[in-house]
Amino acid sequence: MSILELDFMQRALVAAVLVGLAAPAIGTFLVQRRLSLMGDGIGHIALTGVALGFLLGTAPVATAVVVASLGAIAIELVRERGAASGDVALALLFYGGIAGGVLLIGLSDGGSNATLVSYLFGSLSSVSRGDLVVIVLLSVAVLAVVGLFARELFAVGLDEEVARVAGLRVRFLNLLVAVAAAVTVTVAMRVVGLLLVSALMVVPVATAQQLTRSFRSTLLTAAGLGAAASVGGLVLAFYVDVAPGAATVVLALGGFLVAALLGAGRRVVPSR
Amino acid sequence: MSVFALSHGTVALGGRTILSDVSVTVERGEFVAVLGANGSGKTTLVRTLVGLVPLAAGSLTVFDQPVQRFRERWRLGYVPQRLAVGGGVPATVGEVVASGRTPRVRRWRGLTREDKHAVMHALEDVGMLDRVRDPVATLSGGQQQRVLIARALAGEPEVLVLDEPTAGVDVDSQELLAGALSHLSHAGGSVVLVAHELGPLAALIQRAVVLEHGRVRSDGPPPDPEGPHAAEGHVHQHAHPADPPRAKGFGLP
Repeated sequence: MSILELDFMQRALVAAVLVGLAAPAIGTFLVQRRLSLMGDGIGHIALTGVALGFLLGTAPVATAVVVASLGAIAIELVRERGAASGDVALALLFYGGIAGGVLLIGLSDGGSNATLVSYLFGSLSSVSRGDLVVIVLLSVAVLAVVGLFARELFAVGLDEEVARVAGLRVRFLNLLVAVAAAVTVTVAMRVVGLLLVSALMVVPVATAQQLTRSFRSTLLTAAGLGAAASVGGLVLAFYVDVAPGAATVVLALGGFLVAALLGAGRRVVPSR
Repeated sequence: MSVFALSHGTVALGGRTILSDVSVTVERGEFVAVLGANGSGKTTLVRTLVGLVPLAAGSLTVFDQPVQRFRERWRLGYVPQRLAVGGGVPATVGEVVASGRTPRVRRWRGLTREDKHAVMHALEDVGMLDRVRDPVATLSGGQQQRVLIARALAGEPEVLVLDEPTAGVDVDSQELLAGALSHLSHAGGSVVLVAHELGPLAALIQRAVVLEHGRVRSDGPPPDPEGPHAAEGHVHQHAHPADPPRAKGFGLP
């Protein structure tokens, strides 16, 4: 039986393509700002959101989007202050996120730590029709933000002060990146899981950089690589019976190794 | 008609007074240098003028509007003191310079022919047009500084504020910078720059504001130019003919 004839696989493939495109697209702006680990932090906070959903008996994805967005805004405001204690404040937020999640899930009737595990590591094959609608809408929203604001986000990422003097709405744009990252994390948690979300946002960007010279080509290449890795991971998981999230990230890392070797080779050869 | 008018300005950062009772006015078309020893408040003064640092006391107008209400920010070009350009992702010279045009680009339209012309012209002005597709990370310090100035020029500002544009910059780059700034000045633009050593810029400077311990020590004609590079003719032999579209961008009276 072909992989495409299964309903759940069709839904999973659509989700994988969209998340694979969106995560590295917003990830490019995080890497540019040297915030590669921000996705990780947001992922930790999103866990509290998931557990809150179970506790309140509402959709975990909805509460995760809200809590992760609030967390991302808090991270951005701390970063904006530029305080020396910002680093510690972020750490507190991350640990609070994980502990809050485990604590809240214990208080709820519907969930257990086993429930959280499916969010920590992803459960792409259990994407329902309703889930898919949410994933499609949110991923398209993130891609639209990238498409519409890329020019301004790039300028702010290069130099916030120059952008501010030029009259760009720096705080709004930074919060936009933070919230878009939070939305991406919650969408991607079904695909690769909260613990590996950041890998899908960062690894394709790192891979693309080995081969590209411009920001634009880095962003586009990273989005393509992200989609390829998440579809590849899903297909691999289907045939070999491994977790799709882990397969996706391992494929993405494999791509990085190949690109790093190619990049190194290319840098060495012309200098001879 | 003044570009900047700071009156009795006091600035405190982290509880320490950096500028006290500083009054400085920059008129349209003027080329002003801010000089002084390290820690005299030069950088804080120019950051205050462009609105990055709030005043604790005193008042500031930018293009004759109170700084809080000044919205036509594309009229300002700012080049901060910088050692490296870029971020965690590669970017080409063209992309960095085009980013300076961003405030003038309409969201749904993208770069118009006029925008592209301004970017190319800015690159040409600093002698970096042939490097447009190169990643900025591969450039020397002096070349990166030229890219940063081109980024500010791409927005076609009416005043350019530069913080130590010649620090750590090779002599060739310094002369190219002087050429670009002289074009801007001849087209009616104003320039305010912080400098440690003037080098080839000395011939362009019409007025020098000297700071000492956060106060204005003197404000008047620049100190006598020194050395062979300071001669007027030297700068101008690098100059390209002034370009009409650029001149138009400065909104000459």
